[in-house]
Amino acid sequence: MNIAASFTDISKKFGETSILEDINFDVSEGEIVVLLGASGSGKTTILRIIAGLENCNTGKVILHGKDVTELPARERGVGVIFQNYALFPQMTVEKNIGYGLKLRKKSKNEINKKVDELIELVHLEEHRQKYPSQLSGGQQQRVAIARALAYNPEILLFDEPFSALDAQIRQKLRREIRHLLKQINVPAIFITHDQEEALEIGDRIAVLNQGKIEQIGTPFDVYNKPSTEYVATFLGTANLILGVVNNGVFEAENIDLKLTDDLFFKNGQSVKLIFRPEDVFLRHPENLTQNYQKLIDGWIEEISFVGAFERITVRINFKNGQLITFTRPKTETENFPLQIRQKLEIGLVRFRIIPNFPLTHERSAKVY
Amino acid sequence: MNRIKFFITLIIFLSILMTACLPSPSNGGGKRTITVYAFSVMKESLEKEIYPAFKEKWRKEHGEEIEFTSSFAGSETVVNQIQQGVPAQIAILSIERDVTRLIQSGHVPSDWYVTAQKGIVNKTPFVILVRKGNPKGIQDFPDLAKEGVKVIHPDPVSSGGAQWSILAIYGSELLKSEKAGAKDEAKALETLKGIWKNVVSTPGSAREARTQFETGFGDALITYELEGLLMKQANAPIEVIIPKSTIFSEHPVAIVDKNVKADERPVIEAFRNYLWTDEAQKIFVKYHFRSVTNDKLNENNPEFAKIELPFTVQQFGGWDKAYPDVIEKIFRDQVQKK
Amino acid sequence: MSSVRHVRGFDIAKPLSIFTMVGVMLPLILLPLASIFIYGTSSGLDKFWQALIAPEAIFALQLSLVTSFWATLFNVIFGLFAAYVLTKYKFWGSNALTVIISLPTAIPTAVAGFSLLLLWGPYGLLGRFTDQYFHIMFTAFAIILANIFVTFPLAFGVIKPVFETMSQSLEEASATMGATRWQTFWHVTLPSLRGAIVTGALLTFARAIGEFGSTILVSGNLASRTQTAPLYIFAKFNEGQVEAANAIAIVLALFSFFIFSVLFFAQSWLDKK
Repeated sequence: MNIAASFTDISKKFGETSILEDINFDVSEGEIVVLLGASGSGKTTILRIIAGLENCNTGKVILHGKDVTELPARERGVGVIFQNYALFPQMTVEKNIGYGLKLRKKSKNEINKKVDELIELVHLEEHRQKYPSQLSGGQQQRVAIARALAYNPEILLFDEPFSALDAQIRQKLRREIRHLLKQINVPAIFITHDQEEALEIGDRIAVLNQGKIEQIGTPFDVYNKPSTEYVATFLGTANLILGVVNNGVFEAENIDLKLTDDLFFKNGQSVKLIFRPEDVFLRHPENLTQNYQKLIDGWIEEISFVGAFERITVRINFKNGQLITFTRPKTETENFPLQIRQKLEIGLVRFRIIPNFPLTHERSAKVY
Repeated sequence: MNRIKFFITLIIFLSILMTACLPSPSNGGGKRTITVYAFSVMKESLEKEIYPAFKEKWRKEHGEEIEFTSSFAGSETVVNQIQQGVPAQIAILSIERDVTRLIQSGHVPSDWYVTAQKGIVNKTPFVILVRKGNPKGIQDFPDLAKEGVKVIHPDPVSSGGAQWSILAIYGSELLKSEKAGAKDEAKALETLKGIWKNVVSTPGSAREARTQFETGFGDALITYELEGLLMKQANAPIEVIIPKSTIFSEHPVAIVDKNVKADERPVIEAFRNYLWTDEAQKIFVKYHFRSVTNDKLNENNPEFAKIELPFTVQQFGGWDKAYPDVIEKIFRDQVQKK
Repeated sequence: MSSVRHVRGFDIAKPLSIFTMVGVMLPLILLPLASIFIYGTSSGLDKFWQALIAPEAIFALQLSLVTSFWATLFNVIFGLFAAYVLTKYKFWGSNALTVIISLPTAIPTAVAGFSLLLLWGPYGLLGRFTDQYFHIMFTAFAIILANIFVTFPLAFGVIKPVFETMSQSLEEASATMGATRWQTFWHVTLPSLRGAIVTGALLTFARAIGEFGSTILVSGNLASRTQTAPLYIFAKFNEGQVEAANAIAIVLALFSFFIFSVLFFAQSWLDKK
């Protein structure tokens, strides 16, 4: 796939405070990259730097091979869908969509043709004469997208586009937008703090923490193979056990776990074992299937029913009595009912070992 | 978008219109204009007859149309305005002291008068106006000091008339006591204090004071005789009370040299001198001013009252003495400060 | 807390509060205004009309109209500009400037006039050098200057809050779509300010046309030359020509009524869309 946009070594400081450090990533033609991070992680700043609404201290913004780092926003040809959509309240839907073309001094005919085309694309035929205040949130969002598409943007940037919407229509719109973006094949960058949204909409996800990209990868990889503790915990729940690696084996008190990944660690390196609640496999001790690696024994501390599945808290056989949680689906709940204080043998379907860095900011982004 | 264009067009249109309508400060046909600033009660006589008569005269003699423009306020206010730079060319003031102030500020030359009347164009006695039927039984100045009489008196700070009034009260008491035997300054001061105690309002000019009185405020007003006569002429429900003794106010006219260009001087001087002609003096008499050139003219106005013991500012040795001695040392320091 | 008292299902609080409100307004606003109309027309419409078409009166109204217009035009354009600068850029002293712009609200208008005299008068700080070349004081320009001074904060005060609440992303959106600053201002910012601009202009104009305290000091108050409508009213009142004063007062009162009606009813039309 061709690279549509790339961002190299971008950093940004406000006075002494570092907002962004060494941001490197690129977006392929037609790809959707999600920048996922908590508020204050710097994701909005990246978006604004790409759009040209803010300057970066170092680094380059390259759109379709052209270095636009020094260009003002209006010369970059970037389409931004703002959080509140920023539709011009005094213009009708048509006028909003045609604005970018009008600025480009296109003929009336050309503008009308393009506007018709876009209105059809985003299904706003009945609303073309309406003002933004007369539209629903979802309709406004479609106008904002059509408006940005009108001038064939180099890239589309979405700034938390769903945060202003009800939870229920959010899911529907996510799918709609992904579908639309795939249809028109325009590269896009989404920013969000919602991991579920990120997993659903992105082709790749870049997880941001304190101005740095912690990990970038497909939703599957980022979720299942987190390279840092932050990524692991930010995208869903994770259990963590501290230990060391020796000759390809993770060791911690009563645990000896053979590493399956091709990760390389020095002997004696301090690491963390990470596994997700749904990756725990358990049976009564006698039933533990051979295909799964046994982790450790434990005793059930708490069982709670959470709708589609059951969540179980187990105290493992550690001196410090550490707790881990796991979930299991309804089918298992019914076939193998469990009781509190029952002893279990815990196995793992999938796990991940990451280097152990005590403090977040000392962690290097280049651990993998 | 169209609405914005509409607004812009509207504003441009209005701008053009407003430029076109900017009332031209000078008169349309480029006529020469004489600018007169005068104390308040001069208004009617000037605007209704003196200006038209002089315009006519000037047109006949020189074949030129001229215009007048004027502003009226309390005499002291007029002086302040001139000192701030208003373009007055002729100043008609209520008191001679105000001319002195203009001389001091360099607006008027020290040799400002040429006629035998020493710059005074007309005069009028100070009288008391009361409500119809004279319900408070006021006959003379001391009656105004009686309990419960509400007196309207212009403000001596801005009005020349107010200063005349103070001299009238004080001087009349002195003169009456003198005729009766000995000058009684203490009694005169007492009367002035008593009246001032009863003052309920001090408007900025004699004319303002009259308007206030006309709207029904107060029991008595001390003012120029001509004001009373003008009010009676308009059938106002008032009576004019002639004190036994009162002052004749004398009103000077001066050319404000500073605002007169060389080519304007002849017409301005002609206008000033015109004020002493019989024609102008007759007009003044018609408007209840008394002539200063010819006492015979005053007989033309049957309304003029006979005053038993009249006096002028000369009684105090002229304004140069009257102002510091009476207005400042007696009125300001002893009456007003109380 | 307190329950509304109903009399047979009828809420008496409503008529009571309306009655109280009108009762308070009556002696304070309504009756004084009414007396102008009653007095002004009491001596016959003919006399009223005569007073109205007196050349001096027409001149005064015209002068007021023209000077107020220019003051308004200036203050709206400047107010717009100042509001733009002060909301867009934060700089050392920007708060002080905001305060200074608002200052004329609290300054007595007579002081405003006086300060202009002290600056531009023939003996003023600058006037003593400039007056020999051109006169500012005691001309229509002086009246415009005084009006500008006195109404300075009005348009600014109306426009600035709208600027502040206007989402910055609108302008950013316009920029990312390819607009220059000027295009953004013209197509995006200005339309959002339409209502505020018209309101600011009408308020400024209404205030300027009634301005008295500063005008009387700087204009010279010459009839048919520098006498505005309020000065004319005052002069006529002082001369005892209350009918003439009233006639113009009625015109000004009706005018204000018109302006504020426009403000009230046109607001929704302007703010729409």
